[in-house]
Amino acid sequence: MIRLKQWALRVLGFLFSEWLAHRFARLLSWRLVNHLRGDATSTLLLLLLGAMDTAFCLLESYRVNISGLKAVYTFRTDDGAVSRTVRFSDGDMIIEHEQDPHADAIVDFKSATALRSFLFSKNQDVLDSLLRDEVHVHGNLNYVYRFAFLARDLERRILQVA
Amino acid sequence: MRQITPDISSALDRVQLSERVLKLRAAYFRAIPEVCDERPGLITEYHQQHRLFQQDRITPRDKARAYRHVLERREPIVWHDAAYARNGERFPIDAQSLFIGSTTRRFKGVLLYPEMMALALWPELYSLPSRKQNPYYIDERTRDALNARIFPAWMDHSLLELARKRLVAPGEAKPDFELLGRLVFFLASKPNCVSHTIPDFSQPVHRGLRTMIAEANQHSKTAATPEQAEFYLAMVEVLEGIVSYSHHLADCAAQMVFREHDPIKRAELLTLAELHRRVPERPARTFREGLTTVWLCWSALHLENANVGLSLGRLDQLLYPLYRADMDAGRLSLSEAVELLCCLWLKIGDHVPSVPESGEQLFGGTGSNQAITIGGVDRLGRDAVNDLTYVMLRATELMLLRDPNLNARYFPGINSPEYLARLCLANVRSRATPALHNDAAVISALVSKGDTLEDARDYGVVGCVEPCSAGRHYGHTGALLLNLPSVLELTLFNGCHRHTGLDRLITEATGDPRQFATMEDFRLAFAEQLRQLAERAVGVNNAMGKTYQEFYPSPLLSALFEGPMQSGRDVSQGGAQGNSSGVAIIGLADVADSLTAIERVVFAEPRVDFGELLNALEADFAGHDALLARIENATLTPSFGNENEVAEGNAHWLVALLDRTFSAHVNPRGGTYRVGYWTMTNHAGFGMLLKSMPNGRKARQSFASGITPRSGKTPELLRTLNSVAALPSTMIANGMALNIKFMPEGSDSASQQQMLEFFRAAVEGYFTPQGADAGGMEIQFNVTGSDDLQRALLDPKELETLLVRVSGYTAYFKDLTPEMQQEIITRTQYRLSSGQSAPITSVRVRDPITSEAAE
Repeated sequence: MIRLKQWALRVLGFLFSEWLAHRFARLLSWRLVNHLRGDATSTLLLLLLGAMDTAFCLLESYRVNISGLKAVYTFRTDDGAVSRTVRFSDGDMIIEHEQDPHADAIVDFKSATALRSFLFSKNQDVLDSLLRDEVHVHGNLNYVYRFAFLARDLERRILQVA
Repeated sequence: MRQITPDISSALDRVQLSERVLKLRAAYFRAIPEVCDERPGLITEYHQQHRLFQQDRITPRDKARAYRHVLERREPIVWHDAAYARNGERFPIDAQSLFIGSTTRRFKGVLLYPEMMALALWPELYSLPSRKQNPYYIDERTRDALNARIFPAWMDHSLLELARKRLVAPGEAKPDFELLGRLVFFLASKPNCVSHTIPDFSQPVHRGLRTMIAEANQHSKTAATPEQAEFYLAMVEVLEGIVSYSHHLADCAAQMVFREHDPIKRAELLTLAELHRRVPERPARTFREGLTTVWLCWSALHLENANVGLSLGRLDQLLYPLYRADMDAGRLSLSEAVELLCCLWLKIGDHVPSVPESGEQLFGGTGSNQAITIGGVDRLGRDAVNDLTYVMLRATELMLLRDPNLNARYFPGINSPEYLARLCLANVRSRATPALHNDAAVISALVSKGDTLEDARDYGVVGCVEPCSAGRHYGHTGALLLNLPSVLELTLFNGCHRHTGLDRLITEATGDPRQFATMEDFRLAFAEQLRQLAERAVGVNNAMGKTYQEFYPSPLLSALFEGPMQSGRDVSQGGAQGNSSGVAIIGLADVADSLTAIERVVFAEPRVDFGELLNALEADFAGHDALLARIENATLTPSFGNENEVAEGNAHWLVALLDRTFSAHVNPRGGTYRVGYWTMTNHAGFGMLLKSMPNGRKARQSFASGITPRSGKTPELLRTLNSVAALPSTMIANGMALNIKFMPEGSDSASQQQMLEFFRAAVEGYFTPQGADAGGMEIQFNVTGSDDLQRALLDPKELETLLVRVSGYTAYFKDLTPEMQQEIITRTQYRLSSGQSAPITSVRVRDPITSEAAE
């Protein structure tokens, strides 16, 4: 079902102009937009990954960012309430529920606010994240830098279209 | 040789900035740093083409070929014709430097090293131009190249990543990179750079690269092992690369002649073409050729060595014979000499380090910290101050640039009092430079750590304030920055740290301090916590050092260093003559005063229970007013910096303990660790991460800077200077930064003269040995009162070029974080006329977003 949705979005992305595809991506990511502008809740990670997935399907200019990327990320909250593994391979993105202890980077975060501060330039307060010791990275930091770029590029695209 | 021309100082006072320099300087201040992908692009291309990423070791020859590839292919830029302003507007540069070539393709470039930490900029590629602190311009092509081609190639190959994945040898402790990532305990700079040293420019200047190439070729034929032969050939590769780059610049300048209609510019281009066909390949014959050689070799070194603390050494000594010969022959005037130096100073600042936004928030405002050293004594202990020393001083006070970081040496009793007075005058004029170093104390410190007396006398200053024998001691003086208050925290909370949680043991427990019967028990626990943390920090640094040996040898620096040509070994392998590593300690005064507070409050009558003190710390002293009042009472609980026996005793105990602890360790190059007390902006950055301390410091407040006593705790200048001067300099071989703030006094020339005399006398007294003490090692100044600093925050024009001394280096006040600005504003300020501190009125800090000052 999920693959079908991705396929359908890719077809739309192919048919749409870049401008229209951006508008459509933003429409589908409205809940993430609200989270970036307002209070972050525990669903932020899920919304972010979902919006990324949509944008990769719809926007070829965004998809080139993961061309050639082979990487596995696990994001999890300290209390285990939220946990997702993301696999990038061959320009594709797959989201899984299970944690992968061998992920290239495992990001532990205490709250959605901490994750937002960590990943996004808007509302970024790295110092506060550090002060509260709220985000820890295990593994390769370079992979996290790349993921943060993907997140901020997405943010830029869906907020700019507003 | 005649060293000092009578009245050189007053003759130089008549020299002003030339029109050329004024225009270049204005462009320099207007230009925003631009991210440049030339170096990372070419390096990545070479690594991919030659499959270096697939190798399990990279040899000096591999690296040398890569650097030659870059040097031969990089764009030879003669003159920059435009740059970007902060508002994104591109503006023309309508003046031409006397030096050509550049460290990056940009007028003021951000140098990127994907082998190190450049990938930390990845998340910011779209937001760099608009970020709050120190924005960078980046064009779309550069952003795409970094995102699509350059950064992805290094994801698994940056030095930190290689070190993290490096297999640990049997019996070797696993390095604790996890602890490094917590930030609050120590910082290790090797993931970002080694640099922090002074290359040997005397060989290229006096012998020329062609002779050095011939020597290396000769060595390769008689080398004892194939590895050594390869190493010498690596030297040949990089030196040939520098020669090629210089010839490309010459060709480019010659071609421009045909397109240039202005006869003056045509003549300049012809001169430059001729200059670059000669040097650095052959020995320099003139002052300008000498400067050009230094500039080209130094900028080439930045292909390999990150632009952090790569210093230039004793240029007034190196270039004086050429300068003197030109002056005596009438080929050079004072104003031409100053103009040449001003142009060189601007070239030296043609690049900035890449700092991610989080780094800017914590430790922002720093430049590349490339120190130049002037004055002092020569290898035989004779007065080495010369005319060129004064010319460099004049160029510095006219330019008011952050880089280069000028450091002046002074040997009491050998260098003249007039010279010292001139150094003080330069500080008054520039408000913040040069830093002053006491030769007697520094030389004895270096000798005590194993340097020969002659080598110690030939020290230059590295980065901020660290002394190293110039051109022969590979010191990596900024290898580790230890947050000393974290050691105290681990002692207070029995191996835990409030920042990482009191339920998580960081180090082995050393006992609940509530059970300690004596101060000695607490000291023993503190020493054990320090031992453990030092071992972990050194473990990380040494693991990184071994990774450098395997994947990042330094053929370029080796070729321009004393030792490798003789030993046949790369500097990363210990081929240099000297091989120490440096540790900078953050928070000495705060920890010393905390020890005093514990000693006086918990272990002296009337005793306060240790538990109550811990409760007060947990509450940030809220509700513990009586305890706080007792701690802040200078009579009951004295502070370091007032010649009080207990307070000074604790500072001395810490200095000795730190020296003993780190001296016990050896780095992979075979050298030992040296301890110093300079903090850059880290005392503010680390301060923001730490909760309250027993000395009454509240959570998030800045620590005292460098080796300086805490702000507001030392009302008498003389006592402060005596306290610091009495610390054992032989245990501070990695340098110190004593930050003193003077209020400018008097507007008429008589009172200014008197102020200068007080200034000179204060420094002279501080530097003069007292009994067994060698005198204070170093001192640096802000000659701007707190009111003036606060006023500057409201005046963008004044703020634009206002230089301040942070703790080691100089910075533009505007570039500092609000916290760091506040720390400098609230530093104790002294009236020279009375030697007493002056009160500080309300503190205003600038909001980094609105750029407005606010209470």
